[in-house]
Amino acid sequence: MAEPLLLAQSLDKVYGTGDAATHALRGVSFEFAEGEFASIIGQSGSGKSTLLNLLGLLDTPTSGTVRYKGTDTGALRKPGRAELRNGLIGFVFQFHYLLPEFSVFENVAMPALIAGDLPPAEIRTRAEETLGLLGLAGLEGKNANALSGGQKQRVAIARALMNRPALVLADEPTGNLDTTNTDLVYDLFRQVSSDTGTAFLIVTHDRKVAQRTDRVLEVLDGELVADERNRYLG
Amino acid sequence: MLPTQRQADVLSLRIAARFLKTSPAQSVLIMAGIAVGIATQVFVGSLITSLQADLVDTTVGSSPHVTITAAEEGDPVAYTSEIRSLVDGDERVEPGAIAPVRLASALFSDGDTTAPLSITAGELSDLDVIYALTDRTIEGSTALGDYDIVLGVDFAEKYSLAPGDTVELVFAGNRVEELTLAAAVDLGSAAANERTAFIGPELPRDIFEWEADEYSAIQTQMLDPFDSAVVAEEWDAELTELSVSEWQSANADLLTALQSQSASSYMIQVFILVAVALGIASTLAISAVQKTRQIGILKAMGLSDKRSGRIFLWQASMLGVGGTVGGLALGFALIWSFSFIPVPFSIRPEPGFILLSSAVGITVALLSSIIPIRKTSRLDPIEVIQSG
Repeated sequence: MAEPLLLAQSLDKVYGTGDAATHALRGVSFEFAEGEFASIIGQSGSGKSTLLNLLGLLDTPTSGTVRYKGTDTGALRKPGRAELRNGLIGFVFQFHYLLPEFSVFENVAMPALIAGDLPPAEIRTRAEETLGLLGLAGLEGKNANALSGGQKQRVAIARALMNRPALVLADEPTGNLDTTNTDLVYDLFRQVSSDTGTAFLIVTHDRKVAQRTDRVLEVLDGELVADERNRYLG
Repeated sequence: MLPTQRQADVLSLRIAARFLKTSPAQSVLIMAGIAVGIATQVFVGSLITSLQADLVDTTVGSSPHVTITAAEEGDPVAYTSEIRSLVDGDERVEPGAIAPVRLASALFSDGDTTAPLSITAGELSDLDVIYALTDRTIEGSTALGDYDIVLGVDFAEKYSLAPGDTVELVFAGNRVEELTLAAAVDLGSAAANERTAFIGPELPRDIFEWEADEYSAIQTQMLDPFDSAVVAEEWDAELTELSVSEWQSANADLLTALQSQSASSYMIQVFILVAVALGIASTLAISAVQKTRQIGILKAMGLSDKRSGRIFLWQASMLGVGGTVGGLALGFALIWSFSFIPVPFSIRPEPGFILLSSAVGITVALLSSIIPIRKTSRLDPIEVIQSG
């Protein structure tokens, strides 16, 4: 049987020690296939962002494992984890986190520049294609700071897609956007997912947003209490 | 696939350059700080070096560095082939700067007054190499025939002697000789100008009744005056029956002054470098804090610890090179402007010292990046992501 794109096994995350220890996550396990379009839902402080950070290899679990296509990421050293993050995962955060010193094109191209395995011409073509896909054609030369909030978040999405990742992890990606831009972003996620086969795992506290995904994982007090498909659909 | 070293460096360099470019005032100020430090180092270092070279040249540039004499004062030393080959064959001796001389004392008398004179007798060609008599001639034409005399300029002025005048000298045993003043020379110090005279070698030989190869001393000059102590020690060991003296042991006070001056110069330069290093380190540390968010994002995207640290190494390199180049230009401008100040010496910047200053400036800048590099390398992207 083929290895799943992502396999989380008994993930625990504890902050602090002794009496001050706080369990942010307890025994979270699930599989995630390539091309899935899913959400993690939970109230503020439920541990959903902690889970996303562990899955994104930004943080390490206290116990348990995260496997990508069978690779145990716990066995990787920091450079190996950085390489995996760069090649396999795209991130979209609540805040766009664009680099204000760089142009829109440079921001989008940055993951490919970090990877360093594409010729400059291909990086340019791919960045322009991705920006075009997100309705940002013509803004390549602008400074990232000169864009509107919605445009910035779309640039951040373009950046997440630049290296053609197998998985995009999005943490409250529309938390700072108005309704129009929120709809636009989720339409884009869905379109990219169906066009490119990229898997999306979106953290949200908003059930209406979760309704737009094919699978919903619900986290409550650090535990995965539900893993349902199409519950809100149709 | 991991990026190659070159690709990794190019991206780190590109990010470093952009960080500097987007904080122009900060970048220019820190480069100006480095430039002022390097300029001061170049100027002060060159000034002290040139001043000391001038002092040494004034003191011993026109006098013997190592002198061979008989063990007993007053006895002659035979200028034998053994001494000749020892001195001539030593590479530390300035070529041609070997003068066998006969030293005598005499009293000058103009009928009314008398004055003592310290006389050095030798061939003009030999004496010229050590004492530079021809170059130092103020009036007259330097010549040391059997009845010629060359006097210090102050002595000649004091007794109103002009070239062509007769100079009456009384030697030991009341032997009176009349010589003709050929020239007055400026020997570089008032003491020497007031009591020194040069004559040809034959008159003292006749007075002392010495053989043709017997002299009071064999005087030599070194290519590097500071070799004199070692050379004298070696020659002394070779020439067991003779005495070898050198200028440094007779000028201990001057040497102490030079060493103290060097020490204070080094102290100034070290403190300047420390100030520059602290300036760069603090600016880079501030820059690292200012760019924490950006570094965290880049790391989240997969930039490795090593490459993110290298951003600040590149920043330090660019600041160091830019500041050092500016500092050299400013230093040379200061040295050039110094040429308009009326002092008895000029600053000659030594290429070796300039290169060393440049290397030190860039190295200090690179070392100053250690703290921001370590801070950046340790930064966990989750810290930035969680802080929002």
